[in-house]
Amino acid sequence: MGIPTVTVSTGRDITALVRPPRSLFVNFPMGNTFGKAGDTGMQTKILREALDFAVTATEPGVLVDLPLAWEKDFEYFAGEATPEAIARQLKK
Amino acid sequence: MEPIRYVDALNEKYGSMGFPPYKWSDNPTAPWTPLAKPLADCTVALLVSGGISHCSSVPFDPDARNDHRVDAIDPDTAMDQYQIHDSYYDHSDAGRDLNCLFPVDRLRELAEAGEIGAVAKRHWSGFMGRTYNRSKVIGESGPAFAEELLKDQVDLLIAIPA
Repeated sequence: MGIPTVTVSTGRDITALVRPPRSLFVNFPMGNTFGKAGDTGMQTKILREALDFAVTATEPGVLVDLPLAWEKDFEYFAGEATPEAIARQLKK
Repeated sequence: MEPIRYVDALNEKYGSMGFPPYKWSDNPTAPWTPLAKPLADCTVALLVSGGISHCSSVPFDPDARNDHRVDAIDPDTAMDQYQIHDSYYDHSDAGRDLNCLFPVDRLRELAEAGEIGAVAKRHWSGFMGRTYNRSKVIGESGPAFAEELLKDQVDLLIAIPA
């Protein structure tokens, strides 16, 4: 017996490959899936979209792009890339 | 703007760091379980993979690799009792307001408003990235996690990768 799921993702290409049962793509920076800190209206809006999608989705593997845009362009978050950080990560 | 191409960016980053090539999951089909009840009767749980833990727990390893840890999170945890350790995304906003990544307060409000039936007894944080041994997710840690959801009679899980 399965459990219905809705995935809310900021990584469109990765999610398209993984193909979860129901996915919403939000073109916001990773870490801001539901918007900005303190923007409770946006947080609720996106959460509601996810809940509603559990009801309206009718076939597996569909990825829907939410029509939302971040206020300015953003880039891939490369994180800490010092030699020390790389050495630490390689050890894992 | 066009969506960021994470697969290309991560392949380049990991390749330059000397990691072996990552074999991205590429599933031709998806499983399907229909929602069994109206939302107003559903018990809803959240799962996030962004290194979020309770301050009384051991922090997640921010550089984790093949970490199958999944913590149960009390949905009524006070905001100042969360910590985030993850080197792979910018969690500065989430550190100020967890709801922009893990909307526990917003879900509680929707339950109080009757839009969903209830918040589950437990939310979940784990399954951090860089998982090379994915057969273990499918064979062990995933099914074990599903069992926990069934114990809490969860009707719907909102999954938030980060």
